Amino acid sequence: MSTPPVYVLGGAQTDFARNWTKEGKHFIAGMREATVGAMESARIEPREIETAHVGNFAAELYAKQGHLGAFFVDIDPAFSGLPTSRHEAACASGSISILAASAEIEAGRYDLAAVVGIEQMKTVDPATGGEFLGTAAWYEREAKGIEFPFPKLFGRLGDEYDKRFGLKDEHLAHIAAVNYSNARRNPLAQTRNWFMSEAHAQKTSKYNTVIGGRIKVSDCSQVTDGAAVIFLASAKYAAEYAKRRNLKLDSIPRILGWGHHTAPIEFGAKVAESRDNPYVLPHTRQAILDAFRRAEIDSVWDLQGIETHDCFTTSEYMAIDHFGITKPGESWKAIEEGVIEMGNKMPINPSGGLIGAGHPVGCTGVRQMLDACKQVTGAAGEYQVEDARKIATLNIGGSGTTSCAFVVGK
Amino acid sequence: MRGENYKVVILGANGTMGGGAAAMFAGGGCHVTMLARDPAKAREGLIDAQSIAKAEALADNVTLGTYDHDMDRAVAEAALIFETLAEDLALKHEFLHRVDHHRRPDSIVATCSSGLSIADMARGRSESFRRNFLGIHLFNPPHMIAGTEVVPHDATDPAVTATVVEMLRKVFRRKVIIARDRPAFAGNRIGFKVLNEAAQLADEHGVAFIDYLVGPHTGRAMAPLATIDLVGWDVHKAIVDNIHARCEDDEAHACFKLPAYIEKGVQEGHLGDKTPERGGFYRRDGKAVEVLHPGTGRYEPFKAPARIDFVERMKSLNRVGRYGDAMAALAKASGWEADIARQVVIGYAGYALNRVGEVAESADDIDTIMSYGFNWAPPTVIIDLLGPNRAIGMLQRYNLKVPAVVEQAAANGDKLYKGGMLDYGRTFVG
Repeated sequence: MSTPPVYVLGGAQTDFARNWTKEGKHFIAGMREATVGAMESARIEPREIETAHVGNFAAELYAKQGHLGAFFVDIDPAFSGLPTSRHEAACASGSISILAASAEIEAGRYDLAAVVGIEQMKTVDPATGGEFLGTAAWYEREAKGIEFPFPKLFGRLGDEYDKRFGLKDEHLAHIAAVNYSNARRNPLAQTRNWFMSEAHAQKTSKYNTVIGGRIKVSDCSQVTDGAAVIFLASAKYAAEYAKRRNLKLDSIPRILGWGHHTAPIEFGAKVAESRDNPYVLPHTRQAILDAFRRAEIDSVWDLQGIETHDCFTTSEYMAIDHFGITKPGESWKAIEEGVIEMGNKMPINPSGGLIGAGHPVGCTGVRQMLDACKQVTGAAGEYQVEDARKIATLNIGGSGTTSCAFVVGK
Repeated sequence: MRGENYKVVILGANGTMGGGAAAMFAGGGCHVTMLARDPAKAREGLIDAQSIAKAEALADNVTLGTYDHDMDRAVAEAALIFETLAEDLALKHEFLHRVDHHRRPDSIVATCSSGLSIADMARGRSESFRRNFLGIHLFNPPHMIAGTEVVPHDATDPAVTATVVEMLRKVFRRKVIIARDRPAFAGNRIGFKVLNEAAQLADEHGVAFIDYLVGPHTGRAMAPLATIDLVGWDVHKAIVDNIHARCEDDEAHACFKLPAYIEKGVQEGHLGDKTPERGGFYRRDGKAVEVLHPGTGRYEPFKAPARIDFVERMKSLNRVGRYGDAMAALAKASGWEADIARQVVIGYAGYALNRVGEVAESADDIDTIMSYGFNWAPPTVIIDLLGPNRAIGMLQRYNLKVPAVVEQAAANGDKLYKGGMLDYGRTFVG
């Protein structure tokens, strides 16, 4: 028996350049704005929403507040009594929320779900924020007492590539430059007005200091306040939705495939486990392959673009071969040939990704799905990929620990 | 239009806007020649630009030079000549005359002036120059404030205006409007009306009280008197004096009368944040903050004003994103303090929308420049959140002119603001 389809009706996100703390805002303001904006954009009435899932990593730390699912109810009186929940899987929290909501749709429990991704991060100084992010690793073993543990962990990912295949930092610099360049075309990207050049990204300098290992400031994603909301629907609701708007049902995108795998949490254990595997993070590779299989696509070349998890340049470097754009260890070839750039064979992160668009941790998976939806409906404006019919997303929690991949298309 | 082949010359490299402009143009991929009186001053501009861009590699897109040795050649090669010189018409004429002599016939010449008439600056120049000349008014600091006014004069070729607007939007990611060549253009005309009104009110009610009463909760990133300190008292005086002298028929003409205590303060070197030892409305000594008593000219230790219920209510509602409820709380509040706050807030929205057709083409343009040039709530949002009928009632109560667009909205039941909460939410502070 085939799985019932899950439709993506669109949504909205906040401007990732904002600083909610400077605005004197509680995160509920961002959640409210994104939800109201998403309902306006998708033309959905509050009373139509039957369930809500909130992805968030660490509001307990950043905002001293748990129980985020309950905050959705505060947005509109019509939401009182709505079943809601919050999901956490570090930087993959957003995708885990999508999986939970889509499972409910597939099970026939509900016909219309709101999925919220949200994180408020600018409440603390960078060092404290780095400490909080360390709880996405095995904190006691990998983060406690270490300044900025995550850049160091993803520096080790680069080191592992270097050891197995060789890695030149100039290729990482190119990844940074491409993401910043893409972000300039995204009106909601955090870095849309920031300066970046490959020369700047290549050199360690006063303004581009080393954060940990081979990771410099330019290799890092951003500290971001942000919220994104998408709506997932059953075939029954989507058919009514399409009819009311004079749309064809097949013009509405669906989640065509998904993959979800969790690796050992310690980075050292991951690397030890994959020693004899062609892929450095085989569980991430498997999540991608599962999404491809469920979407009934043969390879990455059936896609027109990818929104991937570039929390650091090394994670995008990893994604290039794990998606199968190159053979394992040869991501540099795709970089040198320009394959990943806009207008070429496989644009990666048209939005600017986590480096360019921003990385509000628990929001990212939902933002990626929203961008994938914009691409396949031709609504991505200046960062539209030409003739985008199928777009994949890859969202990773921890140091390659929780991997979620989706294929979105029509 | 983009890339290293697009050459930009900046005159006044070390001025207030030189570094910011260089960071913007070089960041967009242009090759920028930064010119100043001597090499050291040009380098100061580059260091400022690198600091703004947070990138030493910005220098890869920049050449430095001086007016004596490099200007004529650089101007001859440039596609865009952007002057950010001091606000002195004679000085501008001197340089623009020279630009006129050396520029390519197809190059665009722009001034960053925030106060002088574009037509006055173009006077006496060649026909080709006049056709290709306009204002590009960046707000300071340009890397933080995306709002930009493009200001053509009567002889500017509309195709040149359109090219510049497109370039600023697409290449440099600016929020652009076309403003009319009127005193202070659009944003400053509206914004400084409110700022000076707050300064006038401070004379009677005190600095800390006014900044509290019509502070960020009323739809602005920063309290008004703190904003004047940031802008500089000298700049504030120049802008409001100019409007007061040249806009005598303005319905809010009295709001542009510079308070005597500011006039005196400027003479004595109290220019706001740029003179930290003398201060402006506020003076900081380490962690201690002093506040000006406008009546005596003395500074007193800052004491937070007594809390006012409706102000605290508005802040609390903004904090959780209930902006409409916050405006309703303002509308319903009682007491003389609420009357002052309402008069300033509705006065801002009303004055701004009465400028449609005078300083900019549309209410949408005025919304854009107030939202992205001042980080203030767009005027139409204030009308929409209050409801046009209630807004009209408030305007009439305070004897303020009702804008035609608000009357139309009340008659048709239309919403005035073109965007949504995601666009304006950032302007209401909790």
